[in-house]
Formats: sequence, C-alpha cells, structure tokens
Amino acid sequence: MSEIIHEPLALNSSEVLELEGESVLLCNSGGSHFAIRNQCTHQNSPLAGGRVRNGFISCPLHGVRFDLSTGEPRGTLTRVPVKTYGVRDEDGMIVISN
Amino acid sequence: MSEKLSPGEARAPGHSYQEAIKKDASEPPASFLTESYEFLGDADIPYANYTSKDYADAEFEKMWPKVWQMACREEHIAETGDYQVYDIGELSVIVTRTESMQIKAYYNACMHRGTALKSPGDNGFCESFRCPFHGWVYSLEGELIDLPEDWDFPHVKGDSHNLREVLVDTWGGFVFVNFDPNAEALSEYLGVLPEHFKDFNIDDRYIETHVCKRLPVNWKAAEEAFMEAYHVKETHAGGAEFSEPVTTYDVFPENVNRFIHTVGSLNPRMPKAPSQQELMQMLWGRRGPADGTCPVVPEGMTARDVYARVVQQQLGASYDQDFSGYSTAQTLDSIEYFLFPNLFIFPGLTLPMVYRFRPDKDDPDYSYFDLYFLRPKHPEKQPPPPPEPLMLDIEDSYTQSEGLGFLGAVYDQDTDNMAAQTRGFKTSAKSGQALGNYQEVRARHLQQRVGDYLKK
Ligand code: FES
Ligand SMILES: [Fe+2]
Repeated sequence: MSEIIHEPLALNSSEVLELEGESVLLCNSGGSHFAIRNQCTHQNSPLAGGRVRNGFISCPLHGVRFDLSTGEPRGTLTRVPVKTYGVRDEDGMIVISN
Repeated sequence: MSEKLSPGEARAPGHSYQEAIKKDASEPPASFLTESYEFLGDADIPYANYTSKDYADAEFEKMWPKVWQMACREEHIAETGDYQVYDIGELSVIVTRTESMQIKAYYNACMHRGTALKSPGDNGFCESFRCPFHGWVYSLEGELIDLPEDWDFPHVKGDSHNLREVLVDTWGGFVFVNFDPNAEALSEYLGVLPEHFKDFNIDDRYIETHVCKRLPVNWKAAEEAFMEAYHVKETHAGGAEFSEPVTTYDVFPENVNRFIHTVGSLNPRMPKAPSQQELMQMLWGRRGPADGTCPVVPEGMTARDVYARVVQQQLGASYDQDFSGYSTAQTLDSIEYFLFPNLFIFPGLTLPMVYRFRPDKDDPDYSYFDLYFLRPKHPEKQPPPPPEPLMLDIEDSYTQSEGLGFLGAVYDQDTDNMAAQTRGFKTSAKSGQALGNYQEVRARHLQQRVGDYLKK
C-alpha cells in the first residue's frame, strides 16, 4: 500500500496526482474529498477537467457521469466502474491510499 | 353535453370542505373556497383504455407528442451546460441551460446517423454535446460546431444539421416541453393554475427528496389511485369508522382538476361530535412522537388551528424558517392539483409532494412514478442541489427512502393495490370500471381528456 498526502482542494475542483505510476484524480465535491482513477472507462480518456458536482464527475469527452464514492457509471455508454481510492482526513491534510 | 349540477348536489352528506375551512381562525386562500364540480357522465370506463396495446399506441401517437409535460425542475439545470434528459415513449428530449442562461430543448438524436446523444433519464454537465459515434459536436445552442472530416459532407451547409428544437417553457419552477411545434402556449394550457398558485411561491421551492418507482399498472390507473380520497378509509385507515376526510373535488377547463381534503376537522357523519380537545388528542403525535404533552385547546379555538400552529413551529424549526404566515388550511390539508396528462402538485406545507407519471413504452400494464418532495427555499441560504432519484422496482418498499418519513408506508399501501387492479381488469366479467359521480370525477376528467386527443 502506498499513500500520498495533499492539501485540501477548493470546493468542486479536482487535481491530478500520481500514485505508484497511476494517474489519480483527487476531487472535492461539496466539501468531501474523493479520489478516482483519472481514466474514463468508456474510451479511456482522462477525467481531469470534467465537472465535479453533487458527488459526481462528468467526463469531459462524452459526458459519462461517475459516482465519486463508488466509481459506478450512470447512463448507457459504459457499464464498467472507474477505480476509486481510499481518502481520509489527517490533521487537515488529505491522505490518499491504494 | 354534460349537465351541470349545482355545487354540492352530488356531494357527500354533511358540510362541504368550503364550509369547514370557513371556520378556521385564519383566512384560507380564495382559490380554496371556489367550487367547480361538474357532472361528467356515469358510463363505465372501458378496461381496454388501460390494457389495450392499441389504445396505448394511440396515446403515444396522438396525445403524448401534443401535450405540455414536465421535463424537470429549473434547479436540475441551474447552470450553463447542465442538462436533463426527459423520455416519454420513444421520444427523448435534452433540456439544457445555454451560455445566455436560456433554457432550450432538443430532440435527443444526432443529426448525422441519429444516435441518441445522451442516455435515457440522464442528467449532468457538458460544455457541448459530443456524439459518441463519430464525434459530431453541437454547442449548447444546438449549432453543429465540429464536423470531423467535413470534406466528406459538402451537403451539410449552414444550419441544416443543427439540433432540432422542441418547444420549452417554464412555470412555477417547472420546465415543460411540448413536441408539437404548433401547440398552444403553456400559459393558456395551464388554465387556472397560475391564478390558484399565485400565493404559493411554488417556484421558490427546492427538491428535497426524489424517488422513481416502476409500477405494475397502466399509467392512468396509477394516476387515478391518487385522484380520490374515497380509498383513504379502506386503503389507509383499516376501514375505521368515520375516517372519511371532508373533500372538495373540482374540475377546471381544460386541463386542471383538484381535490382538497381536511386534516383534523370534525367528520360530519359522527353521531356524537368529539370535543375539540379529543380531536387535538387524535392529531397529536400524527407527525411521529411529539415532544411534551398534548396542548390544551383554549376555549373558542379549534384543535385544527392549534395543531396548525404546532406544525408550523415544528417545520419552522427544522427548516429554520417562519411559516406562521400560512393559513390553517394551507398548513394542514391535503391539497392536490392535477395538470393533464401527468403532473400532480401539492402546494401545502405538510404535504409538499409533486408526482409525475409516465407509461412504460412497451407494455401498457406498467408505468413509472416520480415522487418529489419540494420544500420552501430559505430566504438567504443556498438550497442543496437536487438529489439523484432513488430508483425503486415494483417489489421495493418506499420505506427505503428516508426522506419520505412516515409517508413511505402510505405509498406502499397505495401501490400495493395496483398489481391486483391490473389482474382484475383482465378477468372481470364486466367490460369497464364504474366511477362515483363526485368522488371519482377527476378520473373521468382524465379519461375524457385522453379521449379528446385520441379523437383528433
Ligand atoms: S451518429 Fe452522431 S456522429 Fe455519427
Ligand atoms: Fe392513498
């Protein structure tokens, strides 16, 4: 298991991080932080830049929405969930683990 | 032609709803005092209206594409790029908020080879609509802005392949669409609704809870289950004597009807009227375990008025708002307006629901029921974003939804009758259902309006 420590993000924003060679997207939706793999399961394009809101991220390419807490997709374009990572708050810092 | 009876002639024995609320300490909204009952006939409603595939197909062909129907609430598409898909039968529309904050609606189909741009029922955010098949891209204004390998499409010129618009308009915070480009204006279609709702600030509400359930019954029978209070005694009160609420049933041209029934007023059929204190005792604890002891009804006041104040304070504390301006009737009563063909709005305080029903596109014996709770927005605080709908299948219980509170069990009671009704439609020795002239007039109104469209 490995971890990254990061500062909290601004509300409804996201940032690309790297964890053991994997591109990870840290997101702050409505004040809670989530981390998901930075790759859409529809056509493998990066999720970075997609809008984060209400516990979901919308892929910037075709708009598939993923539930940030489970990685489950909505709609019919893909049935494959995106990988999620553990996130916890430690002394005001965000700790992401795989 | 229908024969007009004077209001009250076909009504239950005893005082009317209007007479009951005139006794309230606070002035009820003027629209509650209006009576608009009309005798619409008493012939049986054919079961084929519910069970026949041909009838359902005729509805899809002649009615659904011509009526104004609620696609979503404005808060579903609050910001530029937000979109919501609304599906009815084979038709699907994308409703979105443009750069200039206008609301627009488009047929959910790519102008290249027809691929649906968004999934059924989907919502989300995008900067443009990009087709997943060959990547044609449309702006939020519906213009084709990127055509990959455009050398191959000399025949795509100017705005020839922009997304096709669907009529869209708003009222009361609801976004309505109509697939008929020649449809009458929404403001006309709404009839008395804007006038009756002028004091209710229905646009200043937000969605607190949203549940969508699949029902084992035709969409019209599903709606009809919510159009009368006649079933209350048997379905919800275990057949208890004198549990019939005092109700007004009204029909307004062309697309509106309503009922309003009292909560906590004397049932005129009781041989010995309970005291106001006894009534108070019955009301107390209705909203779950109440703190403290049952208030004493002061001399000259009614239990209903005292209870309304209690409810206003309880809800006021939960929502950090002042509800003391609501009248007793608006606070307590079950106030249900219907807009043909599929929208129900409850503008009251304690029963804050909105219903939308839609047929299953393949099978007339099934339908979908969206149930929303709308709460008044706080004057200063930002309301939470609209929740994702909780999807329930036929066998799932409404009690899974925390937001419905004690009403979850009530909705289970309502929907448990439905599969049995569908089965009965098919085995009945009689060819149609009988309706009460007064209490079930709204069901007849619905059937007649559908019939009007099918005849066109
Ligand atoms: S069908 Fe939409 S781009 Fe080809
Ligand atoms: Fe009911």
